[in-house]
Amino acid sequence: MTAIHHHDAPPQKLRIAWAKTAILLGMGAYFSWLIISGNLSNYINQRFAWLAVAGAAIFILLALVNVYSNLKRADEDCHEHFQIGWDILLIVALPLILALLIPSRSLGIEAVNGGISLSPVGVASPSAFQRDPLDRNILDWLREFDRAASPAAFDGTAADVIGFVYREPAFAEDSFMISRFTMSCCVADAFPIGMPVSAPAAPDFEAGAWVRVQGELKAADFGGNIMPVLFADSIEAVEEPRQPYLYP
Amino acid sequence: MAAMRVAVEKSPGLSAFKPLALALLLVFFLAATGYEAISSGIDYTLVIGVFATRFLGIFVEAAPFLLLGSITAGLIEAFVKADDIWRLVPRNRLAATVMGAFLGLAFPVCECGVVPVTRRLFNKGLPVSLGVAFLLGAPFMNPIVFASTYIAFGFGPVFIGRIVITILVAVTVGLVIGTFAKPSATLKPLAQEHDHSHEHQASASARAKLLHALQIASDEFFEMGRFLILGSALAALMQTLVPQESLLALGTGSVLSVLFMQVLAFILSVCSTVDSFLALAFVNTFTTGAIVSFLSFGPMVDIKSTLMFTGVFRPRIVLYLILLPFMLNLLAGVLLNLALGY
Repeated sequence: MTAIHHHDAPPQKLRIAWAKTAILLGMGAYFSWLIISGNLSNYINQRFAWLAVAGAAIFILLALVNVYSNLKRADEDCHEHFQIGWDILLIVALPLILALLIPSRSLGIEAVNGGISLSPVGVASPSAFQRDPLDRNILDWLREFDRAASPAAFDGTAADVIGFVYREPAFAEDSFMISRFTMSCCVADAFPIGMPVSAPAAPDFEAGAWVRVQGELKAADFGGNIMPVLFADSIEAVEEPRQPYLYP
Repeated sequence: MAAMRVAVEKSPGLSAFKPLALALLLVFFLAATGYEAISSGIDYTLVIGVFATRFLGIFVEAAPFLLLGSITAGLIEAFVKADDIWRLVPRNRLAATVMGAFLGLAFPVCECGVVPVTRRLFNKGLPVSLGVAFLLGAPFMNPIVFASTYIAFGFGPVFIGRIVITILVAVTVGLVIGTFAKPSATLKPLAQEHDHSHEHQASASARAKLLHALQIASDEFFEMGRFLILGSALAALMQTLVPQESLLALGTGSVLSVLFMQVLAFILSVCSTVDSFLALAFVNTFTTGAIVSFLSFGPMVDIKSTLMFTGVFRPRIVLYLILLPFMLNLLAGVLLNLALGY
């Protein structure tokens, strides 16, 4: 790697230096775009959005420093502490290439890998229990179910939740699970959870479709276990929420 | 020090080949995934889409920390003199190693940032045992991660266990590698070359030094970033392929749960600054020992840091850097479980 260090032709070296600068600038632009477009919430918990802001700022600062030194180029040898080749540039550009080629998406039904959990993840945050039943999301409900003495404790309680439709071949015709991914820090720890829904209209909704389900809870059999099932009065198709994940 | 550096044999071909080999491996995995997806009737583009989301998610979360680490590394290169290190490091090996485990309090970096910083410190002549203890200890032993662990778990068995186990493992592995391996057999040539810059540094202005530091930082981002990116891709691939639910069934049992959580920490490769929040997700399913081992082992070694290690250490040492912390953390986690009565 270092053998060719000092014999490299200057134009080649300069081309690599400008390619580096372009990648740094591209990274800065990508991070800025994620923040401005709101697509950042497809990838990381909003609590850590400031990290992406810091990242964008540092990328742009480093890009500017590189522009400056590429233009000056006086003390050439001192800067290159290791030769960066095209292979390294290509690998580092990989996130940018993927981001350009593949439209930004949140994790949806196709990311469910091996079933959806019926139990809440994370430690119950106290605030969840003070929420009005109609404001509770799927995670809040699963926490409630987890704490309750019996599945029948919620019989007759109204619920109103948003999520995507998840089905398994074993599910009854008129049922699905309304599901969301939870996310503590970034998609690395995204985890699918869901609650069972029963409704005559259930087969009308495709797997993966985002829906809002309003109805009443009642203990019933689901997959061989007695648990609170949401009997829907209405199911309506909705847009994917701006923040697609639930934060534990 | 200088004599040793000259003596180190350089192998330009191999180090240039490695990232390419890794990239090929990645392409192979992708092709295999794609084939499996097509043959099982799943939409190929959807699988790629899920992979892209997971990969970019890990990268977006980790990149800012790598940048902070790179800037710290650049500042060290530009402003710290090798003489300073020699003056500050205790002559006693044990004292120096213990100092390494606590050095993160002065250089707050997570596991993405610690590798470039360690590399620069080695370059300035830092003893190997101190450097290894720093490498393994610093991702947790720093104010930022103390804060996030405290926010997530409070001042209890998890917080205290994490501190104690991290220090013990970092110091032990630092002593073992520092005692039994020669520096020239430990570090890759790349980490030792080019210490010429400080010679004309003394005369440079503060502004020139700062510019130099930022230049180094951007080089460092590329040098270490390629490992972070390949590691993120591998972690995303594993997550897309290995069913999560099937793994969670392994959550109980005082030994198995610890083993499993360490493997999970390795695969997930989540940044140490945020891994406490992730670990919260497992407190209901897993034993306390498993949670603590997850939090102690994860910041030391995971897929992306392993790849970054290969840029600093020789292959055999990288193997030790994975296996020793793995075994020691496992032991500590199981003992903690037994003590707590699981």
